[in-house]
Amino acid sequence: MLLAIILLFTAQWIVADDEQPAYPSQSMFMFDVGYASIHDSYLTPITYDGVDLTLGYETVRATHFSPDKWLWQFQASVDYNYVENNAKNNDLNKLLGDISFDMQRRWRGVLTPHLDLSAGPMTQLRAGIIHNAANSNNPVSVRAHWNVGIAGMAAWNTHLGRKPVTLLYQAQLPVLGVFFAPEYDESYYEIYLGNHRNLAHLGWWGNRFDMTNYLGADFNMGKTVLRIGYRNRLEHWTVNNLKVHDFSHSLVLGVSL
Amino acid sequence: MIWRISRASARSMLMALVVLLAGCAQQDEWDSDQVGNFEALWTIMDEHYSFFDYKQVDWNEVHSRYRALVSNDMTDRELFDVCGEMLKELRDGHTNLIASHDVSRYWIWEKNPVNYDERIIDQHYLNFDYKMASGIKYQILPDNFGYMYYGSFSSSIGEGNLDLILSYLSTADGLIIDVRNNGGGLLTNVEKLVSRFIDNKMLAGYICHKTGKGHNDLSDPYAYYFEPTPNHIHYLKPVVVLANRGSFSATNNFVSIMKALDQVTVVGDTTGGGCGLPFTSEMPNGWRVRFSSCPILDPQGRLTEFGVAPDVRVDMNEHNRSHDAILDTAIDILTASTRP
Repeated sequence: MLLAIILLFTAQWIVADDEQPAYPSQSMFMFDVGYASIHDSYLTPITYDGVDLTLGYETVRATHFSPDKWLWQFQASVDYNYVENNAKNNDLNKLLGDISFDMQRRWRGVLTPHLDLSAGPMTQLRAGIIHNAANSNNPVSVRAHWNVGIAGMAAWNTHLGRKPVTLLYQAQLPVLGVFFAPEYDESYYEIYLGNHRNLAHLGWWGNRFDMTNYLGADFNMGKTVLRIGYRNRLEHWTVNNLKVHDFSHSLVLGVSL
Repeated sequence: MIWRISRASARSMLMALVVLLAGCAQQDEWDSDQVGNFEALWTIMDEHYSFFDYKQVDWNEVHSRYRALVSNDMTDRELFDVCGEMLKELRDGHTNLIASHDVSRYWIWEKNPVNYDERIIDQHYLNFDYKMASGIKYQILPDNFGYMYYGSFSSSIGEGNLDLILSYLSTADGLIIDVRNNGGGLLTNVEKLVSRFIDNKMLAGYICHKTGKGHNDLSDPYAYYFEPTPNHIHYLKPVVVLANRGSFSATNNFVSIMKALDQVTVVGDTTGGGCGLPFTSEMPNGWRVRFSSCPILDPQGRLTEFGVAPDVRVDMNEHNRSHDAILDTAIDILTASTRP
């Protein structure tokens, strides 16, 4: 949605930039800490909330075939959530791995010479589990998704004093994909016995919506770039009469090497 | 001009962000007061419990009867007692309400003859001389029949341990597998054990699950099979399985499968039942509820929720402190079948 708005309002103002293109080339290690909320009706009808911790890595490079117009981005993260119920007598532990790759068309000097925009197709693989130790034969919820969608970026290049600063917005918006979900009260024991019917589902905006937004600043400290920002992730799906609604809001700290 | 457009864009992006974040909030369905918790429990069971029709329980009628007993000014203990009584309407040993101060239960074995006394067997049949491995107590009785007692399917069974146990018992003319007072555990241990008493792939039963919130939203039964454990020791001589009302859940499943084997005779009392694989859910106040969710049928396609009847029904004599009538019957059966 945000990406569409960006393109809608800016497409007609894309201007050519006569300056020599500055090819993006940056790798960043990040640590997210913040708030997480998990609602997974397979495990419990109650919404749990708590702490989100994420270790992430991303690299952005100009492409070889068109370095001034196209860039590619690779992102990988391991996300851990520790969340509790309102009664504070039970917790869930969520561990999720996520890798994604995208290739984005880049427009430099949009609206002002300081603003760069880019957008393009992305693919994402996400897998992990949520564990509820207090449950009997429904102790885990397995998450496994493969998505294709849109990734976008807006970079505003400015200065703080004499130091160059880039204000950065990034978004990932899956559109179509395949994801795993058991049936309503199907046990993993039944799956283990060999019943694999109706486990893989086509994900689209009618049954599944997820999005990741990042907004922050990169401070250029010479050979190193320091990053501080905010990230939210939203994952919502309903299938087989099951409902999942997870989100997080996190402070992002990063450093480039 | 450019600056004005840029500000408009920024406002739009900000509004979109606000809408997105507002959409993140997830409201739970029930209030956290006593009435809300009662309604949560009733609804959880209404949407997930799988034996309403089989047990002919009118859950809406149950709601109207127990809802009248609930008010927001009652204490937690009072609410727990009402909720626990409501769950007993289901006559289900797998259904428990679990709070920090109590666990509600419907355990039929508490009200039936015990039909098992470990001390009698240890003293008068094993002479306190037995081996133990993987939670299995085993020995060869003086009549040259093997005896193994497995007290919980939660005790992990190692394939190597089973090899050693069955190797030791292999010289016995027959085997008694005692699963009395075994309250269940892991179904994977059922498969491990049964697989040592078959020489061909066998239909072990059927499993199904709720597919939606309706009482009859059940999947088609899925047939599942057990196969002999390859490259391990098997025991294919006559076997007697001893059961009582305390043989519940996974043990009930074990007995139902073993009973389908030609060389096996089940002796003792009807098992405790519990053929629904239990799931767990919770109420807003943190109380947990366990309930039967996935029905498992025996190899003949029958529900065994109320137990598996023995082939030979025997009760112990509570006044005879030196003899186990069920074990004696098992020895007689093995003697008759191996030494005609």
